[in-house]
Amino acid sequence: MMGKELSIMHPRPSSIVAALYTLRDLNVDVAILHGPPGCSFKHARLLEEDGIRVVTTALDENGFVFGGRQELSSLLEKVNEMFKPKLIGVVGTCASMIIGEELHEPVLDANLDVPVLEVEVHAGYPDNTKGVLLTLESACELGVIDREELERQKVLLREATLVEKRHGAASRQYLEPSRGDVKYKVAERVVRLLQEGRKGITIMNAKKETGYMFADISAAVNEVALALGRKDHVVNMANIDDSLGLPRVRHHAKCITADLRERGITVHEIIGGMDEYPVTGARVSELIKQKYSDYDFAIITGVPHAIPMEALEGMEIISVTNGPRQVLPLKEMGHHHVIVEIDLHPKTLGVNHIVESEFGATLREVAKDMLGR
Amino acid sequence: MKDQKRIAIYGKGGIGKSSTASNVAAACADEGYKVMIIGCDPKSDSSITLLGGRRIPTILDLLKQHLDVNEKDIVFEGYGGVKCVEVGGPEPGIGCAGRGIIVAIQKLQKVCPSMKDMDLIIYDVPGDIVCGGFVAPIRKGLVTEAYILTSGEYMPLYAANNICKGLAKIDTPLSGIICNSRSVTREEEIVRRFSEEIGSRLIAFIPKEQIVQDCERDGFSVLEKAPRSDIAQVYRKLAKAIMFNDQSVLPGSLEDERLRELTK
Ligand SMILES: Nc1ncnc2c1ncn2[C@@H]1O[C@H](COP(=O)(O)OP(=O)(O)O)[C@@H](O)[C@H]1O
Ligand code: SF4
Ligand SMILES: [Mg+2]
Repeated sequence: MMGKELSIMHPRPSSIVAALYTLRDLNVDVAILHGPPGCSFKHARLLEEDGIRVVTTALDENGFVFGGRQELSSLLEKVNEMFKPKLIGVVGTCASMIIGEELHEPVLDANLDVPVLEVEVHAGYPDNTKGVLLTLESACELGVIDREELERQKVLLREATLVEKRHGAASRQYLEPSRGDVKYKVAERVVRLLQEGRKGITIMNAKKETGYMFADISAAVNEVALALGRKDHVVNMANIDDSLGLPRVRHHAKCITADLRERGITVHEIIGGMDEYPVTGARVSELIKQKYSDYDFAIITGVPHAIPMEALEGMEIISVTNGPRQVLPLKEMGHHHVIVEIDLHPKTLGVNHIVESEFGATLREVAKDMLGR
Repeated sequence: MKDQKRIAIYGKGGIGKSSTASNVAAACADEGYKVMIIGCDPKSDSSITLLGGRRIPTILDLLKQHLDVNEKDIVFEGYGGVKCVEVGGPEPGIGCAGRGIIVAIQKLQKVCPSMKDMDLIIYDVPGDIVCGGFVAPIRKGLVTEAYILTSGEYMPLYAANNICKGLAKIDTPLSGIICNSRSVTREEEIVRRFSEEIGSRLIAFIPKEQIVQDCERDGFSVLEKAPRSDIAQVYRKLAKAIMFNDQSVLPGSLEDERLRELTK
């Protein structure tokens, strides 16, 4: 089985990092990386912006040879004292897992009153969703989430992996990163379409917190339509059901919903929760077939490659991704314009309001210019 | 650099690698050679019989304490001036002994300039090559000649055969087979046939003698405690054979069926 899998050359998301983000979604206060000091540094740093502390046992050569049981248990005691956490996560790394470190023993040694989620993970899994799964399983065991939620998440993870294999970054051996199409050209095209009286759909299909920025693009399209007197030529779909997913994910949906409402933007169709981006495709297809098949263009943001092409037949497709390696697959699927919001993710951490996107800002400016003329 | 022999003795665990290595080291020292023995087994039992039964601090012991390690902290002179080093390692079942060997050997090379002056360096490696660390001395180009120690029994020969496969895979030539007897019938003949069939040769036959174990129990090599014994003479001969050996081949290996036939 394993041998038949496509061997992918470009670096891919890490399961260790996926575990860290999942711990954050579970609202742990401190995550401990049991491994080398530099492991997952960049993401550990980013997560601090999101209000969780990430620390490391900083295993060195000695740690690799003699193990780090003592280091981990004393670090557990130390963070408990320093940060008074209510929930702690301990995450394995390649180094500690290869030498056969146990996470449970040091947790027992430390004997804290605080629950500790143990995630025995390393970065060697071909699908980084494994890191999420291992974390959720541990959370279920500890009673932090219930079995029903675990099963729901399992389905989503499986689908997410399939989406990446079909048309995502795991779809071929090597994918050249790309900055996509020039934003102001595409912005001009969008304004033009609206000016010509064409009807468009915005589909925000965002992965969790990235929605804070992708929602800005939906907002910008609506603002421009309003300025052109074409407000009802645009319908909006978004995966912002705030009754689904882990608490933190629901909170994002609530915040984004409130912001859009405040800006006077109607979301006509809620297509799922913010963790349901891999499975919204079917709902979107059904909706388009029933109500919007005569629409002329679609602006899809977030995880555009999860929306099946059949549903979009005959439409001009503009998609916005935050993955530079996603450009090529999207073009191959038949999307006409593909835009990359570079470095989107860091800007959506630690916020609870919509943040300005580059494409949104460009669209607003281009529209101003074109209307002024 | 002068002409230096750097050898490793491989073979099934318990077959007699450490005791052969220390007796050979002692015999070479008696001949006036400068000898170093580097114990790479976490058990740290390679040099005890050269040090009158004393255990020395291991490289990893010291590294673990974050001490600044110098040659004098890890290299100890034993019988006949043989320089003794023990790599050490984690407790059984914890951490990574293989990584330990790699780290310790790198450290040793760095802090031990006198390695260069040696005529013979013996790496005494653990029996089972369970991971990359255990072949680090070879992989890192430290060992130039490999020997295999075996008896005429099926299991030790099976291990020897596997080691041959391993050596061939990492392009390391074999310089000879040493038979350490377990008093099996036709033993010398069996091991000689084996040696020839894999393309190598038998360079010594060491009989099984109680005196080896008696000396070991008291903390000595045979060369030191019973220099006049017959077996001391055998070790001297082996030492000479090793020092003058200039033949080595990339070994072949046998099918298991042939191996069984050979030991019938
Ligand atoms: N030729 C021999 N005659 C008698 N006993 C021997 C002989 N060679 C080795 N031994 C004994 O066999 C035991 C295992 O030997 P050792 O050198 O520790 O094996 P290894 O290093 O291969 O694991 C020791 O007690 C040793 O004294
Ligand atoms: S190899 Fe594994 S343990 Fe080492 S830094 Fe990378 S992810 Fe971390
Ligand atoms: Mg030994």
